[in-house]
Order: sequence, then C-alpha cells, then structure tokens
Amino acid sequence: MPRTRSTKNDSAETKGEASSKSSVSKYPLGAKNEKPPTVFILPKKATQDARIVNLPNPRNAKPSRYLVCPTTGIYEFTKISAPKSMPRSWLIESNGVEDASDTSKTNNSRGQVASSADLYVATTIDPLFFVLPALVHADSSRKAEEKRRLFMTIYDHLDKLETEESHMSEILRWEGTRSLLESRMAAVCDTADGGGDIMFRLNEKKLFAIILNKARKMCQGGLAPSMEEKFVTKALEAPVQVSSQRSSDSKQAKSSTEKGPGSGESTPQTESADSQSTTATSQSDLSADSQASTAATSVEDDGDVVSAVKVSDDVVHLQRLRTAFSFISSRYLTSSLATQLSSSLADQTTSGIDFAPLDAYYTELAKLRAEAAASRAIGDYTKKRGLDAEEEEARAEKKRKLEEEKKKKASESRASKELKKVNTAGMMKLSAFFKKK
Amino acid sequence: MLEARLEQAALLKKVVDAIKDLVQDCNFDCNDSGIALQAMDNSHVALVSMLLKADAFHPYRCDRNIALGMNLTSLTKVLRAAQNEDILTLKAEDAPDVLNILFESSENDRISEYDLKLMDIDQEHLGIPETDYAATISLPSAEFRRICTDLAAMSESVSIEASKEGIKFSANGDIGNGSVTLRSQSNVDDNSSGIEIVLSEHVSLTFSLKYLVNFCKAAALSNRVKICLSNEVPLLVEYDLGSNNSHLRFYLAPKIGDEE
Repeated sequence: MPRTRSTKNDSAETKGEASSKSSVSKYPLGAKNEKPPTVFILPKKATQDARIVNLPNPRNAKPSRYLVCPTTGIYEFTKISAPKSMPRSWLIESNGVEDASDTSKTNNSRGQVASSADLYVATTIDPLFFVLPALVHADSSRKAEEKRRLFMTIYDHLDKLETEESHMSEILRWEGTRSLLESRMAAVCDTADGGGDIMFRLNEKKLFAIILNKARKMCQGGLAPSMEEKFVTKALEAPVQVSSQRSSDSKQAKSSTEKGPGSGESTPQTESADSQSTTATSQSDLSADSQASTAATSVEDDGDVVSAVKVSDDVVHLQRLRTAFSFISSRYLTSSLATQLSSSLADQTTSGIDFAPLDAYYTELAKLRAEAAASRAIGDYTKKRGLDAEEEEARAEKKRKLEEEKKKKASESRASKELKKVNTAGMMKLSAFFKKK
Repeated sequence: MLEARLEQAALLKKVVDAIKDLVQDCNFDCNDSGIALQAMDNSHVALVSMLLKADAFHPYRCDRNIALGMNLTSLTKVLRAAQNEDILTLKAEDAPDVLNILFESSENDRISEYDLKLMDIDQEHLGIPETDYAATISLPSAEFRRICTDLAAMSESVSIEASKEGIKFSANGDIGNGSVTLRSQSNVDDNSSGIEIVLSEHVSLTFSLKYLVNFCKAAALSNRVKICLSNEVPLLVEYDLGSNNSHLRFYLAPKIGDEE
C-alpha cells in the first residue's frame, strides 16, 4: 500500500473524529479494518444464486475470481484503479438512505473507509474461453495429438483443468452453467452423440471463425477511444513532412515507445456493444493522458504541416481488425493458441482477409520513419551517443589515469614544475653525449 | 643485507633536498663500495650522479648489490623527521620491500624508526667517461649560486665564456643584458673563498639558467663547487661530499644553435 494512501486515510479518519467531537464525542474510532471492504459493480441480471468462484484464467491458467450465475452466465471482474498521482479512498456507508431519515439510528450507522479506491466491475465473458484451454490441452505434444484428438465429453475435457483452487467441478453441477458451457463448446467443436452424452472435439476452423467474428464485432463502430488512439491512430501515423520535422519527431518518439497492440493487462478497458466479447481498458487516467497529448499535437497539425502519407479507410479498418483480434487473443487465449490463431489470421486462405494493403502501408511507413529519424540524427547534435561497454571501460581507465596524474602533479614541488616549463629546444638529450651502459 | 650508519643525518637530507626537484623517483644503488645514484630529469637534458663512498659511513655493510627504488618526495617526508645532528642508519634486507631508517639523537636518547616502502623503478644507466675538460673553475658555491640567481632575473639562459681574461657569465634578456666576470684569485687568508681557473682552450657555451639555479641547491652541501666545461659536451657541476671522494655531480646539456 503506498504511503500516500494510508496518510490520506488517516486524515479522513481524524477529520471524522474532529467533527464528532464538536457535537458529542461518544464515537470511539474503531481499529483499522484488516480486511477493508471491496467495491463491486455487479450486473442486475445476475440472480441471487450467483457466486464468486475461482476458475483458471483462460490466458495463464492461474486461478482467478469470476462471478458465475447459473442462469445468466459467467462474468469477469475488471479492476479500475485510481491513478497513483491522485490518491483516493472509498467512504462506504452500508445502509445510508434509511439511516439518514431515522436520526436516532444514524449514530449506529457504521460507515467504513476502504483505503484502496479500486473498483471491480463485473462484465460478461464468453464461457468458451474457459473451456478452450481444456480443448487444446497438452500444448507441447499437440502436433502428434492433432491427428488422434479424441471426441470426449465435457467432463473429460474439463477434468484436465482441474486444480485444487478451481471450482470448475462445482459449477459444472449447476445445470444452467453446464448447458451454457456445452453450447459454447459446440460452437467451436465437432460433436458426436455417444450414448446419450454429447462428445466434443475441437475444430480449429470453427474456433478461428468465432474469434474473428468477435474481432469484427469489436471493430464495428470503431474501437474504444483509448485503444483507437493508441493502436490505430498512432500506429498508422506517418511522420509529417520536413517543414515541420520537430513536431513529427516528438510524436514519433512517443509512438515508438508504445507496445504492440493488445499488450494485455495494461490495455485500458471498456465495454463494447457486443455483450459476448468484453473488451479493453482499465485505468481511465491513462486514456485521459493520451487524449490530452493528442489534443496538443493535433493543434500543431492544424497548421501548414502535411502528413507524408494519407491513410486510406481500408488500411484503418484492417488495422482495427488486427488490433481487436490480437487484443482478444492476448487477453483470453493461451499464448500458444494465440500464436496459432494469429498465423491463421495472417494467412489469406484461412482468414479470407487480405492484409496486403496494411502491410504495404507499414513498409512504406517504416521507410518514412527511418528517413525522418535519419534526418533528425543529422540535425541533433545534443543527443548523447549510447556508449557501449568497451567505450565505458576506456573512459573509466582514462579518468583513472587522469586522476593519478593529478595526484602526482599535486605532490610535485614548485621547482620541479618550473623545470618542466624550461624551453629545452636546442638542448640535446644527455644520452647523445653519454652512451648507455 | 644493507646497514649504513651516517654520523650526521644532515648529509642525506641535503643531498635529497638538492636533487628532489630534478628527479622524482630514483634508485639508490648499494654495493660494497658505497651508495650511488644516477638519474636524469624528465626532459633528459640534465643528469644527477651521486656517490657516497663506504668511507662516508661508520660502519658500512652491504652483502649484495641492492637497488633501493624510492620516491624522493616520500623520502623527504621521512627525512624531515630527523634532526641535522641525528645519527642516521639505513637498513634493508637483501631483497627488500622497505627501507628501514633509524634516527638516533645523541643528546636525549631518542630513537625514531621509519619504514619507507620501496618501488621498482626501471632506469637506464649512462656510462659517463672521464673527461679532460677544457676549462675547470673552482669557486665558492655561494658565489656560483649568486651569479646564477642574479642572471636568472635577466634571462632564461646564460652563456659562459672561458678565456684568458677570465670566466664571463653573460645573460641577454627582454629587459636588457648583464654579465659577471670572474678572474682567478687566491685568497691568502681563507682557502675556501678563492677562485681557481684551469684553462687549456677557449670555451663558449650556453646553458639554461633554470637548471643551473636548481643545481645550486646543493650549495648547502659544500663550500666549494667545481665547474667543468668543454665545447660541445655537457657542463659538469660538482660538489664534494665530505673528504672521502664522495660527490654529487650535475651534468647539463648545452644549448646549441638558436642562441638568443
């Protein structure tokens, strides 16, 4: 817990104390709650039977918390944190409204302070993601297994995901949840009827189609603003022409520091139109920051600055799709599966999408950027050159020698210094007169 | 091992004082005949050669040839701890890491002992042949020092001309020129203040005064100084150390060509 938080918390408590003292000081301050309450926003449609359970995270298989409702599905929690620069806390009153009306009871109302201002929002997640790791289990030997991948029941599949912390077997006992999982499995699997039970076998083409469909839906009407800004606008931004080199350089530097699309947890989150595919974005402050910076740079752009290349709508659309796809893969799919799917995305025959215009644009962009960087490198003399280890060593050695010399000089007498200044031109060395022994 | 006891610490103190500005690090070469030192200054135009014969010490013992490499500034620091009248004893192992220096005060039974760390110094030794100089001048060391310091105020260099008329030191500088001429003279009362000139041919040479002034620091060691000159060879300035052929010699290359 950062110190600023706790101090803020303390001051909040003392303030409460001060105000109560002025009236009647009969409210002793309780000890700090060891387990401060956490604030959740839960979907209204979730029923009373919904439980928070541990399920293996579809991405990294670590047990994580999810809200499972037997009738309406599975929800994931997205944590929204207050920015570090703005310490905040929750002040929670358990049953505020009723107490406010009843003055005699207000005294007993237990307000609480949660020093961490985290907010957890539950949003729907496609149950498909939970079963996928089971369907493509045993990554290492997958090549060999591919041919004889067997039709298995949902239980057999999900058995592989069984860990001590997981409540998977528990929720499979819930009728609604199981059928939900089964229906989602059926969407990506070849099925067979095996003696009353439905047997499943993963069909990669179906899986790819589903994920691509999710990505398409995500792009409809544009990505979330922060994502759009970071991974589409910035990534496709061409350096402006030489006349306004400075502004382009600064922007370019910024965009180059950013990670590739879909870099996981750090990506801001928002809810997309489609309920199945939840998308993106924690940390609203982050997006706010980047928006502010765009505002600043776009002002510069409004002048006579001309972008070197015009981005076509087609290219933008492709970039959006790719961003959405890689976001979904990097967030909800195991890394091996993600690489597999991204390669099928790149392959035109399997994906049916031609990324050639986008790739061509990228090549051109890289060239332009290299040019801009080169022209900057020529002009920029102030930038420190990166020193490699060898140079560093040489410098240290030089410094050491210099220091030694300095020390030596300091111990030298004035007379010997004077002698050094003597002009010995025209004086032959003594070895010219006396021969070496 | 080396063990050399010097009746008066002043001798070594003055020797080191006289040469420490010319030479920073040098070897004291000890053998059974005594302790010798030869070193050149940084620009290799001047050379110091010192010989302290075994007779100068009471007693002197040196089983093997030892080179005691020392930083003269460090040695000066140690020697500063000695009174002029102290008895000084140098001791060293056969392959020494340190030089043990002992000061004994005869007056008050005070004994101080120092170990000076030695260093390895690579030094080339030059063979200096016995030379018959064209002109040899013996004069009071104070007189020579006075001439050098006086003329150093006028110019960087002095030309020394030895002829039948005498020895003429002349300096030509920015502010003007000056010269001092010495003639042979024998002082009947005091042998140490006379000037002896032995001349076989005319000599005229130019030398750097800064160096000569530096040599004159050895004036404390001896009342007399001997200056030996020959055309186109280094000047020799020699101070006697005691009465046993021990000496401190300075050689200085003449200035040839672009005379001012």
